[in-house]
Amino acid sequence: MFDPVSRLRGFGLSSPLALAALASLGLGCQDLNTPIYFPSPVTPALAVSGAADAMGNPPRAENGLTLQFRNPTKDEQTELDTQKNTLGFDVPWIQRDHVHLEMTYQVTNTGSTPGMWSIGVDGANEYTKYDENIVAMVLGQGNNDAPQYIPLIPVTPQILGPGQTISGTVREDDFNEAELDLYGIGQWMSPFNAVLINNSQVNPIGIMSFVPPNAVIPALIEIDVNFTADTMMTCNYAIRVRDDDDQLLHNTTDTLFSPTPTLFVPPATM
Amino acid sequence: MAALATSWLLAGASVARAQVTAEPASAVVFPDPNKFAHGLYTEGEIGAVAFFGKAGGVVSPGFAIGAHVGYDIFRWLALQAHFLGSTHQIAEGNVLAGQLLQTYQGTVEGKLTLRFGQTSIFGEGGVGLARLSTNALYALMVEPRYRVGFTAGGGAGADYHSLSRHFSVGIRGDYLLLTNLSGSQELMATTYLRYTF
Repeated sequence: MFDPVSRLRGFGLSSPLALAALASLGLGCQDLNTPIYFPSPVTPALAVSGAADAMGNPPRAENGLTLQFRNPTKDEQTELDTQKNTLGFDVPWIQRDHVHLEMTYQVTNTGSTPGMWSIGVDGANEYTKYDENIVAMVLGQGNNDAPQYIPLIPVTPQILGPGQTISGTVREDDFNEAELDLYGIGQWMSPFNAVLINNSQVNPIGIMSFVPPNAVIPALIEIDVNFTADTMMTCNYAIRVRDDDDQLLHNTTDTLFSPTPTLFVPPATM
Repeated sequence: MAALATSWLLAGASVARAQVTAEPASAVVFPDPNKFAHGLYTEGEIGAVAFFGKAGGVVSPGFAIGAHVGYDIFRWLALQAHFLGSTHQIAEGNVLAGQLLQTYQGTVEGKLTLRFGQTSIFGEGGVGLARLSTNALYALMVEPRYRVGFTAGGGAGADYHSLSRHFSVGIRGDYLLLTNLSGSQELMATTYLRYTF
């Protein structure tokens, strides 16, 4: 006959102590993989009226935020220099493998009619800054076509009814792809439209024969969000950072890492 | 006739009373709480934590796991340390919807117990520290900048002894104030397994 009391005696101390151990493990591991959130600089971050501009294009709003990192310590700098000498090309301080980005957003239709919205994410690593508005302006020179915006990370346009709200996430793997693309464009002469349009995991055109396979990919340190909608809408966003090596600046004794990335300008003839 | 019947009943009752008082004084008490172990004890618990107030609007209730380590000074009074971790999802309706958040809490508590044989009820309360795993609530402007703050509160519960001397099980609910979350409180409800050494 099953006797639960005897069974519990058989377990001895294991059951309560196992739970206690699990709780202790949770306390001990609490700083592992802990993200830090950065809200958009203002709320709502982006708002558009829905009224088209003089050329008939939907209104756009843009802002962004720059993540603040500390400078490397002496030992870290030595390690970077060693790695740089070994590889034969520069090694970034803020690396994609150590700084993981994700963006969450929330779009609300504040108007009275359904409308289509879209988001494009641009940004900068420590070498290069990419701005889809500059690229569209250069590509539009000499013609009267509607601007062609090619963001680093496009978010699929969607229709939103009046009063409705939608939330979404630009995931870490989307940022990983964008960081590879921007590194190729800025440092290795990759054709920008080819790498931005293609997913490098599916079609590595512009990456495979340009970026060395042992290259260390820099992470974005600036994230810019472009929002457009054809009716009155708002967009809020936040950036989530997983900082594996504690490189974000939060210790007052550290100094600010302040690179000056070069603005990418595409060849006018492309 | 009625008076005769009444006198018969009364006579019968007095005989019965005499029989009860004649029973041996050393009757076995079962269960005997004095045979339950007391002193150092541990408890492992699982349950749920829900936030109220300002944080309640943006943090969904979550799963909790924790432990108590305590000592029965008397059978009715104990001191205990309580550790509890819980995991939550940021609720819909804001830009961080769906993100995860953990809380870690440690408190020192006093506990008063009132026993009824195999069952007891208790009240407990204490103070301690609470920590949030991320700054998500700061990003949502729900909390001040600091993720660590004081917590204080109390609750009550019921315990059922298994009659195996060392083991008992029970449920408890506690309501705590959190200083690191502006105008926010939490309710934790757990079920536990206790081992008294």
